[in-house]
Amino acid sequence: MKKKRYAMVIDLRRCIGCHSCSVACKAENRVPPGVFRSWVKIIEKGRYPNITRHFLPTLCNQCEHPPCVINCPVQATWKQEDGIVIIDEHRCIGCKYCLASCPYNARYVNPLMPIVQKCYFCRHRVYAGLEPACVEVCPAKARIFGDLNNPEDEVTKLLSKHPFQTLKPEMGTYPQVYYIAADADAMDPFAGRKEWT
Amino acid sequence: MDVNIIYNIEHEMPLGILISLYFYLTGLSAGSFIISTFAYGFGMVKFKPLGKIGVVMATLLLVIAPMTLLVDLEQPLRFWHLILYLRITSPITWGTFLLTLYPMNCVVYGYFMFRGDMKRTKIFGLIGIPLALMVHGYTGFILALGKARVLWNTAIMPPIFLVSAMVSGLAMMTLVVIIKDYVIQRKKEHDPTLIYDLGKLLVASIVLDLILIGTDLTVLLTSHTEAYKAAVMLIKGSFSPLFLGVEIFLGSIIPLLLLLSPFTKRWIPGIAIASLLVMIGIFAMRCIMVIGGLSIPLS
Ligand code: SF4
Ligand code: SF4
Repeated sequence: MKKKRYAMVIDLRRCIGCHSCSVACKAENRVPPGVFRSWVKIIEKGRYPNITRHFLPTLCNQCEHPPCVINCPVQATWKQEDGIVIIDEHRCIGCKYCLASCPYNARYVNPLMPIVQKCYFCRHRVYAGLEPACVEVCPAKARIFGDLNNPEDEVTKLLSKHPFQTLKPEMGTYPQVYYIAADADAMDPFAGRKEWT
Repeated sequence: MDVNIIYNIEHEMPLGILISLYFYLTGLSAGSFIISTFAYGFGMVKFKPLGKIGVVMATLLLVIAPMTLLVDLEQPLRFWHLILYLRITSPITWGTFLLTLYPMNCVVYGYFMFRGDMKRTKIFGLIGIPLALMVHGYTGFILALGKARVLWNTAIMPPIFLVSAMVSGLAMMTLVVIIKDYVIQRKKEHDPTLIYDLGKLLVASIVLDLILIGTDLTVLLTSHTEAYKAAVMLIKGSFSPLFLGVEIFLGSIIPLLLLLSPFTKRWIPGIAIASLLVMIGIFAMRCIMVIGGLSIPLS
């Protein structure tokens, strides 16, 4: 069998900003209060009556060149063959350098037990033949998960047909979470922050 | 166009005051070690009284410094993973080796110095210089290789860290000599030339430090928007009181005035105040770099 290359497409033409994915993720992965593996950033643009909301569901980008992995001093986090970036919670010493190195704010220290965690595409579900929890629960089917090495897979087809964006391409991380029709201001960490303009 | 963030998540800052303190202590240690080699490594006889104080301070500080690191780990008992599973691309791994070799060399160097074996002292002093430079330089790399943080991700970070280490080390040494001569042994007569010489070196290193900071700011201000915003944060944003007020004004300008003005440059209390202010200023700098760098939003 050919090597898999897992990726996620988030089609923002479909997203309705319902936060179902965040909730499903919390439940599936027992993510404690105060921290998130996936969340939906929401911004509002313009003035009444010309006003719109834009959504940006976020998660670990499973970067092709992950700075978190390069900087971990104990090889407690690495990129698997199939593209998923995982953490060995028994090896991690909790230096938090990966938290400082991730350009996407994707990692957190579990407030209940001193370990570092993040999204790993629900790999326990994927290996059991299921989809990640956020994908399965999305009522608008805005999240699509699949294998980029399979030309028949829906993610591959979507990405070959549509213009797409990734977050902070200037970081050279090559994210494996792709957005279709993402809003530039929603992707900009500074947009809408009065104290930063 | 109006843009308002309705909902977003920001995770807590991963590093903070403990790491700033760690950077500060290693800087002080590297600085005092290098000063201690002025006499014993390079034969500058007038700095001889600093040799022993320097090596003792350098060793003590480098024993305390890694403790702050250890306390900051979420899993301190797993520290041995650093040796067993090391990843060479991570600057923390470089630190693992440097933090082992450097204090050992300090101890050997100090041992020969106290025994009066000048030839061996010199050898280990000279071996220690690159080690001292690296033990502090690598902390600059920890920040510089954190490319997610715009304030950190610059090639000038390791040199800034080295120069500021020299600044704080010189200030601490000056203060230690003043306390030794004028507080502990105040009954005896002392020749203040050593303090004046230290003052001159301090002036030179503060000026060099200011030049590097100016270079960094100039490039940040004219680089991409995120860099510009980081510079504005320092100049008029949330970190400006700490940066302009403490690091630059209290920690550099006032000490420069005290050390250069003809009325105060021979005035021992003035030099003491200047040194103390410099030490505070460099601590502020470490906090600004670590905490300021992390406070720039990512999502
Ligand atoms: S998004 Fe962050 S945590 Fe995930 S792989 Fe990239 S750098 Fe690592
Ligand atoms: S916190 Fe854990 S996973 Fe992250 S860099 Fe440190 S040891 Fe590696």
